[in-house]
Amino acid sequence: MTKPRPMQLVTLTLLALGLTAAPLLAQGKTFKVGVPLPLTGAEAKFGEMEKQAYEMALDEINAKGGVKGTKLALDIQDSGGKPETATAIVEKFITIDKYPIVVGEYSSQCSYAVAGVAEKYKVPYLVVTGAADKITQQGWKNVYRLNPPASLYNLGVFNFFENVAKPKTIAILYENTDFGTSTSKAMKEYCDAHGVNVVLSEGYQAGGVDFKPILQKVKSLRPDIVYMVSYLMDASLLMRQSKELDLNPQAFIGGGAGHTLPEFLQNAAEASEYCMSATLWTPQVKYPGAKEFFDNFKKKFDKEPDYHGVEAYAAAYVLADTLKRAKSFTADDIRTALAETNMMTAFGPVKFVSWGQFTNQNRMDTLVLQVINRKFETVWPKEGASAKYVFPAPHWRDRK
Amino acid sequence: MSRKSLIGLLPVAAVLLIPLLTQSPYLLHMFILSLLWIVLGQSWNLLGGYTGQISYGHAAFFGVGAYTTGIMVKSGQSPSTAWWGLLLGGLAAAVVAAFIGWVCFRLRGSYFSLSVLALSEVLRLVAVNWNRLTNGAEGILFIPAFTQKTYYYYIVFALAAVNLGVIRWVMRSKPGYYFLAIREDQDCAESLGIDTTKYKLLSLLISAFFTGAAGAFYMNYMGFIDPGIVFSIPDISIMMILVTMLGGAATKWGPAVGAILFILVSEIFRVWVGSGHLLFFGVLIIAIIIYFPNGIVGTLTDRWARKRRLQGAEAAA
Amino acid sequence: MSPQVAGQLELLGQVLISGILLGGLYSLIGLGMSLIMGVMKIINLAHGELMMVAMYITFWAFTLAMIDPYVSLLIVFPLMFLLGVSVQKFLLTPVMEADTVLPQNQVLLTVGLGLVLSNLALLLFTANYRSVPVSYASKTIYWDLKLGGQTISLSFSYPFLLAFGIAGVLGASLFLFLAKTDTGRMIRATAQDKRAAALMGINTKRITYITFGLGAALVGAAGALLDPVYYLYPQIGGPFTNKAFVITILGGLGDIPGAVLGGLVLGLAESLGSVYISLGYKDAFGFIIFVLVLIFMPRGLLGRGRA
Repeated sequence: MTKPRPMQLVTLTLLALGLTAAPLLAQGKTFKVGVPLPLTGAEAKFGEMEKQAYEMALDEINAKGGVKGTKLALDIQDSGGKPETATAIVEKFITIDKYPIVVGEYSSQCSYAVAGVAEKYKVPYLVVTGAADKITQQGWKNVYRLNPPASLYNLGVFNFFENVAKPKTIAILYENTDFGTSTSKAMKEYCDAHGVNVVLSEGYQAGGVDFKPILQKVKSLRPDIVYMVSYLMDASLLMRQSKELDLNPQAFIGGGAGHTLPEFLQNAAEASEYCMSATLWTPQVKYPGAKEFFDNFKKKFDKEPDYHGVEAYAAAYVLADTLKRAKSFTADDIRTALAETNMMTAFGPVKFVSWGQFTNQNRMDTLVLQVINRKFETVWPKEGASAKYVFPAPHWRDRK
Repeated sequence: MSRKSLIGLLPVAAVLLIPLLTQSPYLLHMFILSLLWIVLGQSWNLLGGYTGQISYGHAAFFGVGAYTTGIMVKSGQSPSTAWWGLLLGGLAAAVVAAFIGWVCFRLRGSYFSLSVLALSEVLRLVAVNWNRLTNGAEGILFIPAFTQKTYYYYIVFALAAVNLGVIRWVMRSKPGYYFLAIREDQDCAESLGIDTTKYKLLSLLISAFFTGAAGAFYMNYMGFIDPGIVFSIPDISIMMILVTMLGGAATKWGPAVGAILFILVSEIFRVWVGSGHLLFFGVLIIAIIIYFPNGIVGTLTDRWARKRRLQGAEAAA
Repeated sequence: MSPQVAGQLELLGQVLISGILLGGLYSLIGLGMSLIMGVMKIINLAHGELMMVAMYITFWAFTLAMIDPYVSLLIVFPLMFLLGVSVQKFLLTPVMEADTVLPQNQVLLTVGLGLVLSNLALLLFTANYRSVPVSYASKTIYWDLKLGGQTISLSFSYPFLLAFGIAGVLGASLFLFLAKTDTGRMIRATAQDKRAAALMGINTKRITYITFGLGAALVGAAGALLDPVYYLYPQIGGPFTNKAFVITILGGLGDIPGAVLGGLVLGLAESLGSVYISLGYKDAFGFIIFVLVLIFMPRGLLGRGRA
């Protein structure tokens, strides 16, 4: 065995400790904003996409001269998707780096943890993707949310039910996570209130290999609609295996996320055809800059962004707009300006309002998309649709 | 008091003074996490290091402690009474441990290790699915009782100190010697008339109690838990083993050294290496195992002892 | 027969088919772990990560050279064998020789190895979800059964059937290899009593290299077979390491036919449990059976493992 060299390790550790002190000295003239994101761990894919979208927006903003002559910069740090790390990052952002505003994080858990810290230090925090209802239900004065809460992701789908589908029975399968539970709960409550019979409602552990047993059970119950909430690639496995089992409801509808990822089209391939999903955004929306964002992102990073990307992109613009209107770059003035936000972004209109239990929550319409000819098309609401919906979907064996 | 124990008290005194030196919430957060991991490491060390029963599922006890506290608050207690969770959470974890011990201690080696892991996974799934009790995947949240980090610092410090004191006391009394005997040779211990199952269980109960109390502290401190966080195998169970063994299993200060090293080094890596930080961390783990086979404290003490012996031999010659 | 009864029969039939086919893949994952546990008495916490590496090899072979995943088994198997041998030779064996308080250093080393592998993959291949879009991914063979005037329609997934078949062949070859060849006998001897094996003149060090290599190659094969029906990303390994534990213990440590049986039992328990008990507890059934086996049959399902 090699002879141990503990001195080398000690030297390395000391070196690393010295390096941590360096950023405290190097604060330039640019305005820095703290952004915690999961860049490692299971959520890394989304953290990466958001990071790219933030940076893209920032390049555009700075190319146009930044805000009041100041360039914007992001301090993006990896939380690994762990709340205690996210907490550490934001404690550091606020108390050591003295950033007057925090933007970002990805999951509900981490967004919630960050919101708690921001509220404690009275520093405004813009939530970009964390969807759990509770984040904007605490009556916190420093927490503003760009994306709609999970319970409202389905608004477009409800509207589609009332006007077109008029289902009598529904089967609900959801991922056993915060997002899956709260989205499916909203669907169940809607169905109970509107006389739709929920024949099955079960949660599953994300990452399963084989969903055929439960899908066969769904098949034996013959529901009109199969509604699924999957965050990730389970969406494509559910569709592929439904096709294999020849499970034929009038429509498969996803609750967003997994069923709207570009990877869904690739992995589910022909099994994705005619699958619908609730979504917050599609590249076909008529908002200014939406299509440009999609095209530029695709060109720059060689992959298609989903709605998480555009949320981050829009958040950067909300940030720039807020800073432009803020009297000074202090937390108080930024908070005042953020609260008065009323602007249009590539993601849609952004305005923070309070209603019911929600405070400082952006309210927006959600859409329904459908895969037609292996492309995501916006099919509902009718105005702004890019293609006509196909409902009921043809049976698997009747397709060519 | 001997010179040696005075030297031992020095780091303790230094740690007590930290909040007087810095009020930075970020630094205090790091120190609080370090102390929390000291408790976890020491608890695992009692069972794993001293008694030789390797558990891959201590997250089970951490989670039970955290959830006991969370459920207390959820059912209407105020967050300040949730501090009773430190006691109740620990007791609940010990009850679960008694069951696990009863199932597993009739078997040896890998079987015990893996069945704790299995039970911790089952508990995680129960926490996900028993919505009414645990709030399921949405987790439990409340606004923590204090906003000042100093309070948390001293609470977790006290927990770590009590934990260390109890373990020292146990290890100096009869059960402690039995634990070591069981680790070294269970058959031998048994033939000497030691009721090995009973003493393994005792070690497990103490270990689980403090792990549960640490979980309860986590709930009180973070204000939010969900099943994926507190029952995590890689982030809790495996981390506990790493902290203890890389610091030095079956040594007094090993878990403390391991915990501080882990929290601080991983934070430094995270800030400075960016998205590759876990890769470096993995390499560091491998390097420590190769260069310090008995952990940092264990290997250094061995080496010093050997050097002193050599010097003694030279002086004699 | 009423349509309801036929529907229930169809459900049961499909659940059994799914469980057994999935169980075949699980067996292959468990075989590698069982072999390593049996000979080295260590738990390989990087088992899932090794599978992840194999899945990326298969993915790149398909993407860059259009090599079919089943053909790429011919590349994956030797490459993973080499990787396994090097891990044992350059990392695990040196650690094994050190004199330590606890014998768990090698296990911790596999933790470090797992972190390194999954984060290397993250840096090299990004966090993106990939899949191997073979044309037959959702090809299905239907079997319509006429029973009492009702039709029961059962479906068999083509890639799952193939995976099951290949897993069976690999499992049988491994069994024959251990039973009939000299090297196989030496592996079994080392598993039984390492010191005695060394005294008999067996180069036990070489045997541990081969064993870890075989274990890695087997789980690698499982990864290649999983590619067409699943997806891959750098963090995919963890849950599969857990599955491998359960399978190994169900079968009894180091018991090859036992591991195959353990895989099948786990597959069936998951599919039956998720339909007839609760989907949310699907992953718990394996663990619960595992604990029950521990209490009542501590030597594994076949009663031959070493407690």
